Amino acid sequence: MTKRLQWKRVLLLLALLGLAFAGLGYRLVDLQVLRHEELAVKAQQNTQREFWQPPRRGNILDARGNLLATSLFVKTVCADPVLIGNRQAAVAHVLAPLLQLDESDLYQRLLPRLGKNQKGEIVTNRYVVLQHKVSDETWQKIQMTMTNFAAGVDERKLSRTERASLRDLRSNAIFADPVDDQLRVYPGGSLASHVLGFTATEAGTNRVARIVGRDGIEMVLNSALSGAAGWRVTRTDRQKRELVTLRDEDVQARDGLNVVLTLDAAIQHIVETNLADALQKHTPISITGIVMRPRTGEILALATLPNYDPNNPGGSPLDARRDRVISDLMEPGSTFKIVVVSGALNEGAVRLTDTFDCEQGHFAFAGRVLHDHEPYGLLTTEGIVTKSSNIGAAKIGIRLGQDHLYDYACDFGFGQRTGIPLPGEARGILYPVKDWSKVSIAQIPMGHGIAVTRLQMILAMCALANDGWLMRPMLINRLEDQNGNVVRQYYPQRVRQVISDSTDKLVVDALKTVVSPEGTAAGAAMKYYTVAGKTGTAQKVENGTYAEHKFVSSFIGFFPADDPELCISVVMDEPKEGYYGGQVCGPVFKEIAERCASYLNIPPDKTSESPGAPAPLVAAGTARPASTQ
Amino acid sequence: MAKNRKNQSAAIRFGPALKALGLCLLIAGSAVGYVWQKSRIYQLGQQIRQREMRLTRLQNNNQKLDGQLSILRLPVMLDRRARELNLGLAPAQPNQVLRLTEPAPPPPADRTLTHQLAVRPATEMTQ
Repeated sequence: MTKRLQWKRVLLLLALLGLAFAGLGYRLVDLQVLRHEELAVKAQQNTQREFWQPPRRGNILDARGNLLATSLFVKTVCADPVLIGNRQAAVAHVLAPLLQLDESDLYQRLLPRLGKNQKGEIVTNRYVVLQHKVSDETWQKIQMTMTNFAAGVDERKLSRTERASLRDLRSNAIFADPVDDQLRVYPGGSLASHVLGFTATEAGTNRVARIVGRDGIEMVLNSALSGAAGWRVTRTDRQKRELVTLRDEDVQARDGLNVVLTLDAAIQHIVETNLADALQKHTPISITGIVMRPRTGEILALATLPNYDPNNPGGSPLDARRDRVISDLMEPGSTFKIVVVSGALNEGAVRLTDTFDCEQGHFAFAGRVLHDHEPYGLLTTEGIVTKSSNIGAAKIGIRLGQDHLYDYACDFGFGQRTGIPLPGEARGILYPVKDWSKVSIAQIPMGHGIAVTRLQMILAMCALANDGWLMRPMLINRLEDQNGNVVRQYYPQRVRQVISDSTDKLVVDALKTVVSPEGTAAGAAMKYYTVAGKTGTAQKVENGTYAEHKFVSSFIGFFPADDPELCISVVMDEPKEGYYGGQVCGPVFKEIAERCASYLNIPPDKTSESPGAPAPLVAAGTARPASTQ
Repeated sequence: MAKNRKNQSAAIRFGPALKALGLCLLIAGSAVGYVWQKSRIYQLGQQIRQREMRLTRLQNNNQKLDGQLSILRLPVMLDRRARELNLGLAPAQPNQVLRLTEPAPPPPADRTLTHQLAVRPATEMTQ
C-alpha cells in the first residue's frame, strides 16, 4: 500500500517535471526557432555598434611645402537634457563662455523637450548639439569644468539618488559626439584666397559631416582632397564599452590626398603686399597680379584685391570672392598690340623697320576717327610698339588682314578657355570674322572690340617669352598621399607654337624698347635686368559706350628679356592718381619683379651702369634683319 | 561473502575521496581559468582600445603641432615677424651676390671611346 502511494507520488512528480520541461522546451523552440529572426536582430541591435571614421581632408601646399590649407579634428559638443535635471541655469552659466554661446540661448537648449520616437511613443530628447567645431583644448576645459561642477548645494545633505544623478550630470550630461568633426584652416589668412577657394560643411550619411569645396582648388580637387570614410562594426557591453575582441569589421579611413600647387607662398606674399600698396595709392576698384614662369606655364602667384579670408568667407562681400583674373572680361587695350605685331611679323606683312604714318593722332577709317594719346608722324613698327600708337597698330592690322588677325588671336588663345584648374573661367569674346564691322580690323589691333581675361593676356605674353610657344597654365604640381608618396604628377604642356623663333626674337626686341626712356613704361625698367613688356590703357565700356574717365590699366612684362625667368602682369580697374598703364602699373611691376628676382636669386643680365640702348624709334632707313616668314 | 561496507578500512575509502576531490579541483580550476581567461581578454581589449585612443590623440596632436610649425614657417608670418622685430632686413641686391662659376668638366666622350676600343676584343669590333 505504502509502495503504491510512493509510486503515485513519483509519477505525479515526474509528470509535473515533464510538464515543466515541456514548457521550457516549447519556450526554447519558440525563442530559438520560431522567433529566431526577430530576436536575433534585437540581440544584435542591443550589442552591435557601428562607428564611422571621417577621413582627414588633404592639405594644400605650395611648391616649397608651405602649408596653405589644412584640416584639424574638432569636437561637436552635445548634451543630454534628461541628465541635467533642473540644473540648466547653473550648467549654462559655466558652459556659455567656453562654448561662446549666449547664456540664455544655451539655457533654452538644455531644457528637456518631449517628442515622438519612431514607434510613436512620447519620449524626452536625450541628444542636443550645443556647439560644432570645438577645439580639443576647449573640450578639455569643458570636461574639467563639468568634473568640478558645483551644484551649489551641500552634497552631504543630498539623498543617495540625488548624489547619483549629480554624478551622472558631471560625467555624462555633456559629451562629445563620437564622430569627430573637421575644421578647415587656412594659416595664411587671405593669402592666395582666390586660388585656394573655401569649403562648407554638409551633413553626410551616418552622421559623418562632409567638408565640401565651394570654390577654387578646394572645389576643383574636392574628390581627391576628401578621401574615403572608414568604419568599425563592433560589440559593446552594458556600459557601452567596446568589446575589442568581438570586432566584426574594422576598415581604416583613407585620408584625402595632399595637393601641391605651383604657387610659391613667398612670391604670392610679395605680389599681394605690393598690390595692397598700389591699391592704397591709386584706389582702383580692383587690382590683380600674376607671376608665371613662361617656359613652363607654372603660375607662381595669382592675386586679386580686394580678397577675402577663406577661414570666414561669409565675412566678405560676394564681389571680393570673385577671381577677377579668370572670370572678369576686359578690353585689353594696347597690350593686345603684341598679337597684331607678332602676326604681321610672322606673316612677313611688315618688318620692324617698316614705317607707318601715324597721321598726327587722327586717323579716319570706315566712318570713325581713331586717336593716339599723343600725335605721332612716321613711326617704325618697333616705334609703334614703343610708343603704343593706336593708329600705327590699326594700320599694321589692316596690312595683316582680317582672317590672319583672327587666326593669330585664336592661336594666342583668345576666345577660348585656358584650361586653368579653377572654376568660373570665362572664355572671352572674340567674334568670328563674319561678324566684324568695317572698323573692327582697325579697332581690334588696338585692343578694342574684343574681351579677354587677364590670364589669357599674360599667357599670350608668356608665349612671346617662350620662343612663340603657348603653354597651358599650370597650377597643380602634384598630388601626394599623407606619407609624401607622389600619386599623380602634372607636367608642363605646350599648346602650340604661335609664331616662329626668329619672329619671336624680333617681337622681344620691340618689347624691350617699351621700358626705355622713350617708351610708355620707363618706370618698369629694372636696374639689373633687361625687361620686355607692354602697357595697356583701355577705356571701360558702360551702357554700350566708352566711359570718359574710367580705364583699365595694365602692364605685362618679362625678364631677363633674352632668357626669361618670370612673366608678371599687373592690372588695375579704374585707378585714380594717373591712369596710363605704364604710369600706374609699371612701377608695381618693377617692385614685384625686383623682389621676386632677389628671392629666386635670378642672375642679372646687365649691370646698373649699362642700360640697354634703345633702338631708333623714328624711321631712319637703317635695315634690320627682316622676319623670315 | 561480500564484506559489509561499514567494516571496510579507512585506508581503502580514502582513494575515491581523493579522486573526487581531484575531479572537483579540476572542474573548479577549469571554471576559474575560463573566467580568468575571459576577464584577461576583456582587460586586454580595454587596453587595446585605450592605446588606440591614445594613438589617435597623439596623431591628431602631432598633426596639430606640425600645422603650427608650418604656420610659423610661412613666409607671411616670417615677414610679419621680421617687421615686428624691426630688424631692418631687406632683399639682397644682385650686386651684393657673389656668383661662382663652376669649371666646365673635361669632355669625356673621346676618352671613353678610346678606352672602350682598347678593352674590346678585336673579334667583337669586327662584328
